[in-house]
This record gives sequence, structure tokens and C-alpha cells, in this order.
Amino acid sequence: MNSLPVDLTNCEREPIHILGHIQSHGYLVAIQPDTYTIVHVSDNIAELVGIAPTQLLGQPVQALLAETSVPGNTLVELLNVGCRNDSWDTMNPNRVTLNGQVWNLIIHQYLGLILLEWEPSGDERNALINQQLLAQALTEVQSSRTLVDLLQNTARRVKTIIGFDRVMVYRFGADWHGKVIAEEKDDDLEPYLGLHYPASDIPRQARELYKINLVRLIADATSTPSKILSDSDWPSDRPLDLTHSVLRAVSPVHIEYLRNMGVQASMSISLMYRGELWGLISCHNTTPHFVDYPARQAAKFVSQLLSAALEFRKDEEDKTNLLQYTQNGQRLHEQLIFTDDVVRALVKSPVTVLNMTEATGAALVFNDKVYQLGQTPDEADIRALADWLPTTDTETFLETSQLPNLYPPAEAFRDVGAGLLAIELSRELKEYVFWFKPEQIQEVTWAGNPDKPVTVTSDGQQRINPRTSFAAWIEIVRNTSSPWSEAEIGAVVKLREDILQVVTRQANEIRLLNQRLQVAYEELDAFSYTVSHDLRTPLSSIRCYSEILLEEYGAELNPDAQALFQKIIDSTDRMRSLIRHILYYSRMGRTDLSTEKVDMRQLLEGIREEIMVTAKDRSLQIDIGETPAISADPTMVLQLFTNLIGNSAKYTRLTPKAVIQVNGRQTDDEVIYSVEDNGIGFDMKQAGKMFDLFKRLENARQFEGTGVGLAIVKRIINRHQGKIWFHSEPDRGTTFSVAFPLTTHA
Amino acid sequence: MVDVLYIEDNPNDADIFSRLMQKLNRPFTYTVMDSGSEAVDYLTGQGRYKNQPHSLPKLVLLDLNLDGLSGVEVVQQARSIDRTRFVPIVAFSTSDSPRDIKSAYEAGVNAYIVKPGSYQATGTLLSKLCDFWLENNARIDTK
Repeated sequence: MNSLPVDLTNCEREPIHILGHIQSHGYLVAIQPDTYTIVHVSDNIAELVGIAPTQLLGQPVQALLAETSVPGNTLVELLNVGCRNDSWDTMNPNRVTLNGQVWNLIIHQYLGLILLEWEPSGDERNALINQQLLAQALTEVQSSRTLVDLLQNTARRVKTIIGFDRVMVYRFGADWHGKVIAEEKDDDLEPYLGLHYPASDIPRQARELYKINLVRLIADATSTPSKILSDSDWPSDRPLDLTHSVLRAVSPVHIEYLRNMGVQASMSISLMYRGELWGLISCHNTTPHFVDYPARQAAKFVSQLLSAALEFRKDEEDKTNLLQYTQNGQRLHEQLIFTDDVVRALVKSPVTVLNMTEATGAALVFNDKVYQLGQTPDEADIRALADWLPTTDTETFLETSQLPNLYPPAEAFRDVGAGLLAIELSRELKEYVFWFKPEQIQEVTWAGNPDKPVTVTSDGQQRINPRTSFAAWIEIVRNTSSPWSEAEIGAVVKLREDILQVVTRQANEIRLLNQRLQVAYEELDAFSYTVSHDLRTPLSSIRCYSEILLEEYGAELNPDAQALFQKIIDSTDRMRSLIRHILYYSRMGRTDLSTEKVDMRQLLEGIREEIMVTAKDRSLQIDIGETPAISADPTMVLQLFTNLIGNSAKYTRLTPKAVIQVNGRQTDDEVIYSVEDNGIGFDMKQAGKMFDLFKRLENARQFEGTGVGLAIVKRIINRHQGKIWFHSEPDRGTTFSVAFPLTTHA
Repeated sequence: MVDVLYIEDNPNDADIFSRLMQKLNRPFTYTVMDSGSEAVDYLTGQGRYKNQPHSLPKLVLLDLNLDGLSGVEVVQQARSIDRTRFVPIVAFSTSDSPRDIKSAYEAGVNAYIVKPGSYQATGTLLSKLCDFWLENNARIDTK
């Protein structure tokens, strides 16, 4: 030990299966299976057979019994049977009498050697008591009791079988620290029930041995172990492996640990759950105490019964939970399929996501909304959590019973959310389902301070000592919830698949709808052209024939009839204009934007020229001020400004001196143009209808118009992600402003 | 032999055209055909126009929206035959759809005119058309 460098894993490195010693209450001989030649003996062998160990090494196994009353061949025959059957378990123990004393011989074969171990036999009368206890234990396990009762009674039975003064059932936590969950002890001893032991008390390699050797006895911690001697030909780098030995000596560290605890004999029996160490039955005696092989086997049998019961009970418990979650998951799936509405199915139906786990709160973050069920953190906290999750490497789900340790802001809401189970629906959209478990403030009482002290020995070397104090040492564990079970995690992972299936199907439906919309648009497109063509053709005929009538027969018509024909002609004009505008309107919604930098000066001057031609009979002035360029579709922008300035020209017709001012300015992120006139204006109360298709304002009735022009303008602005607003007062004029973003995304 | 061939299946438009042509009081001859396939037969000397040699019109005025063989198909057929490859064809349509205009040009029209929709405006237009296509425009006579 001292030769190893000091660090806290020292105990983990101790090669406890090849310590080179056995406990001194027994004797060991190892032989070659083919020749039965002795290759190892324990130093104390002379006590048993009266021959010095050095004289035995390299000799045939018969030599062992030379000084006894037992013929050597008896042993050879026994070995022959074992070798022939390739099994030793059924033969153990062999009761042998050597020099008037009865011994139990236990034989096993491991790593190419046969190991023979003699240990004292106990009182034969105990066998009967043990039989009764075993029968009782079997009944106990079969009857349905609480786990605590079962363990407590097991502790009592084991105490009766082996006669120690303290028997504890010690359960391992997920981090391998242990807790005493049942205890049977003599009255004068201090109780250890409820105490926690740090994981380092039973290092990893010791736990591995506990899985192989289910029963382990230290009969006298104070005795001096007996050294194992090897044949001179035996390679020194291959020490005898004592993994399966019943006499294996104890590590000096462990002896010191026991001494500090005031224990001189100890026995441990492993409790297994699904091939893993679930706990130990740990037995202590204040004085040396030997437990014979049959009693140890009886105790082992009781522990195996208990292991089986544990497995069965835990499976039952898990199955019940799993069944419940599966049923609720099934219901949620049905709700999802039936409603096709993720939010309704998960949080607004009889069974909700809260029924999927033991959580006390749940939340759904979907479509940028937060839905809460039960006890949850605030909405803002949940949103922050949804922002944080994509930064972690969570891909499908995250599970923690110590959220504040992963995500410090969670400390603020640990009373409802110290534990988090989350499934990811969409990382991009930050969509999640969360389950929360509240903080469980645990008061963990350790058996002594779990942080092993490093001490400096007299020769100046550092070493780690087993603790010397086992006085209760209390630690408060915060920021921790009860753990998430596999059944809970399994249930929500399945739920995630169900939700994603529905979401994906909806996305596909939207895609199909989009395709159909595309087709519908194309049909509408064709329809618009056809309608405009088919309507315009008869309209042209009406107009042309009216003109012909007026022209060729006008002289024969009285003025009233002539006026009526003129009305027909005017009506066809209005209808043509309406048809043309509707066509424009529908085109503006769909045609692709081809954005480029538009020379506004040139564009506005062109519009001015065109308007001035039709306004030559009145006083109209169009002033063009600053003209910063904009990025836009030139055709659409031409349409937009033609409509705006055309409107201004129209609604200033009655003004004696009409003035229209067009001015542009550029800000940091947009270009704003305003078109101001001194026309009839309008009441801002009617402004809400301004851009509605076919809506015209009351005081505009006397002016020709279709009610489509501004709707087209609005559509063009929308296509450019721009803005349009206006200000007006009746009889004082109107100002329209349009803003184009500096960069347009089509 | 005719100067202008107008292909139009709407009787009103054909009537208005005839009235206006007469009103122009110019020496140009014209004829109106109400189907694209007949016009193609006429231009290419097939069907009932087989073995009736005649010279090509100086201008073909073509409505695009025809029942049966469409205006664009008439142009395509005319352009695929040596005799009519260079005969001037002007599309004369109600539609101002960029798509229609493009497909007409692709088929090989010489010009595209949107019907004005008014008697007077149509009269003015026809007068200009005749001036340009019948008098100013130089032609390739393929016989």
C-alpha cells in the first residue's frame, strides 16, 4: 500500500484477490489438476498435517496425508471423482477427520489449479435449526409483505443462522454509496439504521468480488494471516488467484476499517438484482466469530431467495408503472390522431402529458406558446429553459434529477423543478415537452465524514486511511429531485415519436395544401385572363355598336337618346377599367418579384409627363423633390406610384390650383416616399377601409374609380415587406407615405 | 386576290372590321375568315383552295383566341411552309397578357396589337395599319 502513489483511488487499486495470504483459521493447498502435484501451500499447513510446508511443495498430493491416519488414496479418489465430473460444488463440503478433529474440506478449480481448503466444522446440530430457518424464509418471501418487512425479517433470520451481534441490510445508491435500510442487532449496540456510507467504503474491485463470491467471512480480524508459499519452479509473477477461495485473507485497509469500527468478525452476503449488486447483508461481531460452511451456505441461500424476491417485486412494481404509462401513452396517441391538434391532445384532454410520469408539473412549448400543467416554473422560466436546451447536446431527450447543477438559473425554481425530463419536438422552433419534479431536501446521515482524510505516516509518506470516526455525519443534499425511472423515460421517448408522427403528417398535409394552392393559383391565373378576355370582347361590341349608332344615326336621334348612348359608352369604359384593375390586382399577388435598383427620378418624371398630358385643361403642378433610389420590382413600383400620384391628380380636380408634392428620404433601414396633395381629403374615421378591395370613400363618389387602385398599392407594398400610411383632413388634402426596406427578401 | 386577310371568329368583331374598312374608303381589298384551319388552307393552297392559285395577302390580321385551330397554331403552320414563311402576320387580340404576347412572338408574328375596344379607336388603328403594312412595308414575294 505504501508503495503506491497517494490519490483517492488507492483503495480501488489494491489487488485484493492476490494478496498472497489466507485467514489463519484454515489451511490451503493448491495442486496441478493433471499430476496432483502440490504447487502452493499455506504457511500454517503443518498445524493440520504435521509436515513443514517446504517439504510438501513439488510433492504429489498423497504426501500431504503421510503423517495422518487417513490413507493418501482417499484424497486422490475424491479428487478423481471431482475431476471426472468436472464439478466440485456438489461435493462441498467434505467432512474429513484428521488426527481426531473434524474439518470441512472445500475444493474448487480456478485458473488451471485445484484449490483445497480445510476449515473447522461447526456443531452438527445447527444443521437442523438452519433447515427450519430456510423453510421459514421461503414462506416469508412467498407471502406478500412490504420490502422493508421482508428485509428486516431476513436480517433477523441471518442473525439467527450465523449468530453475529449485528446484521444490517445495506443498499447501494446509483452512485454506489450505501444506506443501511434494515438492521437486527444486540440491544447494547448503537444503531446504524438509516446511516449512509460513502461509495469508497466498498471500492469497485471489492464490489466485483462480491458479485462472484456471494458470501464472505472474516472470522478474526485480529489474527495474523498465513502466507502462501509456492513451489520454487512457480513463476513469481503469477501469484495464486484467491478470487474463489473461502479463506482469502482480508486487505489490511479493510482490517483497519473494521478495527476502527470496533469489529473483529464480519460476514457479508451479496444481494443481486439483474446481475448487479443491489445491496449487501453486512454482519458484524465485536469478537472473533467463525461461521461454518453449512451455515454460510444457509445464509447464502436466504440471500438468494431475497435476491429473487427483489427481482420479482421490482419487476412487478416496474410493470405496474410501465403499464400505467403505456396505457396513458396509448390514450395520448389516440387523442393525437383523433384531434390532429398537438396542443389539445397533450394538455387539454382527459389524459395529459402530466399522466405520463410521476412528475408534479409539465409544460408544452409549441408554436411559440407555453402551456402549463400542475406545479411548474413560471412561463418566463420555461421559455428560458427552451432557449437553453438547444445549446446543450440534447437531441431527443434530457433527463436529470439535479437540474440546477446543469443549469444554474433553475435554482430559482428548484421547489417545483429540481428534476427535469424533456423531449425535443423541434430544436429550430424550440418546441419541447417538459416534466418537472420538485426538490427533495435530503438529509443524508453518513457513517462518519465520507471524505477520507489523507494522513502522513511516521516515515513521511502520505496515505489514505479508513475513517477512524463512524459518528453520524449529516449532509444536506439540495437541488435534487427523486430520480426518473426507466419506465418514465421509456414512456416519454415513445410519446415523442407519436407527437412527431402527427407533426410530420401535418407538415405533409400543409405541403399538399400548398401544392393544391399552387394549382388553384394557376387556375385562377388562367381564369383571370379568360374572364378579362371574354368579358372585354362583348363589352367592346357594346361600345363599338353604340359608337356606330351615334355616328351613323346620331342625326336621327333626339338629344336625350344621344345622351343615353353616351352613358352606355361611359359605362363600358368604367367596366373595362374595372376589369383591367382586377387583373392587375391578382397579378400583383403572384408574379415573382424581380428586385433591382430603381431610378426614381426617371420613373416619377415619366409618370408626371403622362398625367400632365391628361390634365392639360386644368391647373396642376407636380413637384418632385429628393429621389433616393429604392430596391424593388420596377413594374410594380411604376404601378404603385402611378396609382398614388394618379389618385392625387384625380382628387385635386376640383381644386383651383392643384399641387402635388412627391418627396423621398432615406433612413438607416428604409426609403420613405410621400405623395402630398391639396385635394378633397377624407375623414380619418373612414381610414380603416382605405385599402379594402372595392371600398370607396363617401366623398369620392363624384370621381371615377373602381376601388381597386389602393388595394393594388397595398398589395405591392406588402410584397416588398414595406409599409404604407397616410394622413388626411377633409378639404385640406392627403399625404400618403410608403416605406421600402433597404433590402427586400422576396 | 386580297390585300388584308382578317381571321376572326367573333361575328361582331368581323362586322365592325368590315364596317371600318368600308368607311376608310381606300382601294384595299379584304376578306374575313372565321376559322384558323380555313385560313391555313387558303394561305397554303390546300383543301378547297387547292389548284386555285392566288397571290398572298399583304397583311394577315389574326385574332389569337379562335375556336379549333388557335391563332398561335395558325402562325406556327404558316411559318413552317416556304410559301408563307414571310407573309406579314399581325396578332390582333383582346388580351394584353405578357404570356400571350410572348407566345405569339415566339410563334413568329410580326407585330402584336391589343384591340382598342372602341369603334373610333379601332378605326384610327386600322387606318394606320393599312398605311403601314399595305403601303410602307417592303415584302418578299415568294409566289
